Amino acid sequence: MADAGALLETEALTRRFGGLTAVDGVSLRFERGRVHAIIGPNGAGKSTLLNLLSGELRATSGRVRFRGADVTRAPPDRLSQMGIGRSYQTANIFPELTCAECLWLAAQSRPRASGIFFRAPRVEAQVVDSAEQALRACGLAERRLSLAGELSYGEQRQLEIAMMLATDPELLLVDEPLAGLGHREAETVLALLRDVARERTLVLIEHDMDAVFSIAGTVTVMVNGRVLETGAPQSIRQSARVREAYLGEEET
Amino acid sequence: MSLSRRGQAGLAAGAVALALLPLLGDRFWLQFAGKAMITCIFAMSLDLLVGYAGLVSLGHAAFFGLAAFLLAGLTNQFGLLNPAATLPLCLGGAALAALLIGWLSLRATGVYFVMVTLAFTQMLFYLFSEAPGLGGSDGIYVAERPRLVVFGRTLLDLGDRIPAYLAIWTALALVFFFLYRVVRAPFGRVLVGIRVNEPRMRTLGYPTRRYKLAAFIIGGTLAGLAGYLDATLYGFVNPALFGWRQSGLVLVTVLLGGKGTLYGPMLGAFLLSLLEHFGERVTPHWNALIGAVVMAVVLFLPGGLAGLLREKHG
Repeated sequence: MADAGALLETEALTRRFGGLTAVDGVSLRFERGRVHAIIGPNGAGKSTLLNLLSGELRATSGRVRFRGADVTRAPPDRLSQMGIGRSYQTANIFPELTCAECLWLAAQSRPRASGIFFRAPRVEAQVVDSAEQALRACGLAERRLSLAGELSYGEQRQLEIAMMLATDPELLLVDEPLAGLGHREAETVLALLRDVARERTLVLIEHDMDAVFSIAGTVTVMVNGRVLETGAPQSIRQSARVREAYLGEEET
Repeated sequence: MSLSRRGQAGLAAGAVALALLPLLGDRFWLQFAGKAMITCIFAMSLDLLVGYAGLVSLGHAAFFGLAAFLLAGLTNQFGLLNPAATLPLCLGGAALAALLIGWLSLRATGVYFVMVTLAFTQMLFYLFSEAPGLGGSDGIYVAERPRLVVFGRTLLDLGDRIPAYLAIWTALALVFFFLYRVVRAPFGRVLVGIRVNEPRMRTLGYPTRRYKLAAFIIGGTLAGLAGYLDATLYGFVNPALFGWRQSGLVLVTVLLGGKGTLYGPMLGAFLLSLLEHFGERVTPHWNALIGAVVMAVVLFLPGGLAGLLREKHG
């Protein structure tokens, strides 16, 4: 059973694609209020793990528990309604819609946004308001009426995160938020994540080691679909096994 | 998405002209415009699916045909003439069919969805063609047109040309304003989100299949209304109403006029009706003529006819 500390928990979670075992018996606990980073070389199964946690992929075997409830078979829309937010490695936005519209869609998905055919102006104002908040939090206020598809790469990543925030999640699954960003853009996104992490739980996949060690409270290293080691950033940094399997590679 | 001022004025002028058409007293054009307005309703009902939800259905004629046949059945078998009874029953039948067909076909996506919808309408086509009890391939007459009689007084007789025409006009106006509200409501905007990026909508918390099913039922019900009016106007139904030719033609109407606009499919409906009428006089190969026009519009006006009316900066 999950104790009070674990918001999300996996138990021998496994996913096979034909002969390939992308995620292999992963058992992890994601503590409430923490930033838990998952690192590892390409092909280690990190993104697959995230897709299992968000319900976009079905587990071959094993379990996922969120707030103690078994959600192994829950579809992505239900997990989102339960409070799990997701952002993607490549911006997964609505290119034909404006930033404001993208965020409106995200904000209005919440159950409090009742009245799908005829809505009271007061309720609609609340939706517009939370979309606006997310827009500002991500520094996109000036791009409100720009088409999402016409934003710069960095701005699309910011929009991506803003959409996740607009759904007001308790747990955030964030896949390589800094990938491909310039130094200043990366700083902006990192500051935003740090801010978000004060009230929420984050599961973070990231290749930028400086960023990971500066923000994460717990680090898990994955190699070949398995968990190599989990621990505090310091102990991971000093682990010989991790150095050998992963960090060492980076330095050569 | 939004019409220019001139476009709005044009639509309003068209609506007024159509309302005044009976004053002309010409039988042929009254029937012609009535049929074109029915096609408008049919095409707009499909536009909700194709242009907003991104659901390309090749089986939309199923609901048109079912409602038309239901009216024939209710009239001929049960002597039901009151439209206050037959209209809800026919629309209810179309809605129920849309619920069943939609529930099954929405398990497939992309081209497989197209194929499943096509399979359903072809199934109905053969069912109605080959069952003699349902009229067989020759079709059946609707013995009497719907009429509303209250305390012995006939308030509305859809067997009369002008009331029937005005009923169609009224139905078209109501359907347009209804769909206009629906696509601007949160529901319609969610449908657009599903069309643009459905997987993302799911991780944002939308049970997308339920939204698509709701759109499918609304579209199917309104297609049923078009079928009901068609059976009323002509007093005759046949299995060709279900055929994939009918389904394909209404899809062409939507694309020709401009999907995702509502008014575009109305323009498409009138253009196609005129082309068919005049093309028939010019050449026996008028279908080729229509084909050429459709190709020209698709290639040079990707937004359809509606693209011509849209605000430049929009």
